[in-house]
Amino acid sequence: MATRPVTGEQRAFMTGNEVVAWAALAAGADIMYGYPITPQNEIMHYWTRMAPKYERGFLQTEDEISAGFATVGGVLAGKRAFTATAGPGNVLMQEAMAMAEMMRLPTVVVVTQRGGPSTATVIYSQQELNLTCFGGNGEGLRIVYSPSSHDELFLYTIKAFNSAWKYRFPTFVLGDGYQSKMREPVTIFDPEARGITMEPCHPMVGLPGLPGEERDPAHLRNTYNLEDELYEVLMTAIKEYEAIAPQVVEWDTYAVDDAELLIIAHGVVSRAARAAVVSLRERGFKAGYFRPVTLKPFLAETLRPLAARARNLLVVESAYGQLKRQVQAGLYGLETPVTGYLRPGMGITPEEIVEFVHAKELI
Amino acid sequence: MRPLKLKLEAMGIKVLGWETRQVTGWGEAGTVLHPAVRWALHQEGDVIIDAGYGTAGAGTLHLLEGAGTASDLRVLAVINTARPATATVEDIIVHVRSLGRVDGLLNNTHLGEETTVDLIQAGARKVTAAARELNLPVVATAVMFELASFIGERDICGNPVRAIKRYMPMAFW
Repeated sequence: MATRPVTGEQRAFMTGNEVVAWAALAAGADIMYGYPITPQNEIMHYWTRMAPKYERGFLQTEDEISAGFATVGGVLAGKRAFTATAGPGNVLMQEAMAMAEMMRLPTVVVVTQRGGPSTATVIYSQQELNLTCFGGNGEGLRIVYSPSSHDELFLYTIKAFNSAWKYRFPTFVLGDGYQSKMREPVTIFDPEARGITMEPCHPMVGLPGLPGEERDPAHLRNTYNLEDELYEVLMTAIKEYEAIAPQVVEWDTYAVDDAELLIIAHGVVSRAARAAVVSLRERGFKAGYFRPVTLKPFLAETLRPLAARARNLLVVESAYGQLKRQVQAGLYGLETPVTGYLRPGMGITPEEIVEFVHAKELI
Repeated sequence: MRPLKLKLEAMGIKVLGWETRQVTGWGEAGTVLHPAVRWALHQEGDVIIDAGYGTAGAGTLHLLEGAGTASDLRVLAVINTARPATATVEDIIVHVRSLGRVDGLLNNTHLGEETTVDLIQAGARKVTAAARELNLPVVATAVMFELASFIGERDICGNPVRAIKRYMPMAFW
């Protein structure tokens, strides 16, 4: 029998892509379907290097369309399956993820954001928020986690499998190229060591017994004949999605109680945002920081009272308003002005944020 | 290395490789091997080659002219026992044996900003045990400058200590 890849808890030093591979192993992922694209390639490389030792599988497909659909097939067969992609690959996977959304399939996709649109850069951005949260021709019934550290990358990769299989919505871990490539200390752990029980996986096809006689037909569908049928199916899913949202949403705050300026950022940019808040506070400015960890469901109701108390909101992102639009849509009706420090495809430092805050007299 | 090229050259170190501005417009990754890198082993003086990253790291040595025949070439496997894939003596042995030619080991055990003396010394023990099994020397233990004085000239296994100043954090973006 294969040994457990991680026992107890261990402190380690590795890149974000390695972290994802180890997290998937620790989560008991059965198989990865992959297609190369920078900057996620090392997720595949490390997975394929370690998979044989732990009796896990891997299939490289001919493209991301196939990788996405192979992941759909894997979960239909009851495998704890995942894939990873970025940029144009993420675009290609949307058809498969729309199918997963329609059929309520527990797919897990790790996205390592790169510059966009199209091929753009292989490096970094936060420009795939729209695509990951709302891609496909559906209503965006997805769970999207945005980690900001390697510790979170490890934790939320494990959680993604559990959220997917528990709630049956396609689930995404939205990382980025900087996190993928940078090295930092991380605590890797066996989920059981932290009291995390992995959700069981069950096949949805090839079930025993005669359908209609010995069991209900599986009747897996992604297509419907009439508007009414589709409406009924969708509304059931939407109601379930709204009902689970309070259990799924996660966020982080710092110094918000008396914040006159609330800085909102997600993922790796939130590190700079938090550092900027610390810097501003040291100089007597009442700044606070809010970080959505889940981008979908979006936690507008959590953010609203904090935003209402502030005099200004500043959204900081390495995109041109993808998070800002989410914030504004979620806070519609609130009069607190929303400003954006928007740097598509560019890294953001705390110093830049502080300079911008003062230049725009936000505090 | 590209972001640090100019800084290192100002310190008198010749850096073989592209400057970032030279590869602008080359396409997705701009990965054309610099001719000086390809012929690095034919350079006069000491040449330090940093080969590695990802799972195919050591394999890139084949790109250098003369890598298979250069008599002065020494290939050192740099081991960080804080990485799970090389966390145990057995893992280190398997890893080193997968690299092809290796002439020595270098203990580079660290956890970045969280590195402690105990961690480095524990790494030294593992690397030295693996080296004994592999019949390879441990060339040195690398210790960040701030901790070097706490260890001294030799680590707990008697390997020479090399104090290192870290420049890579400046290359983040």
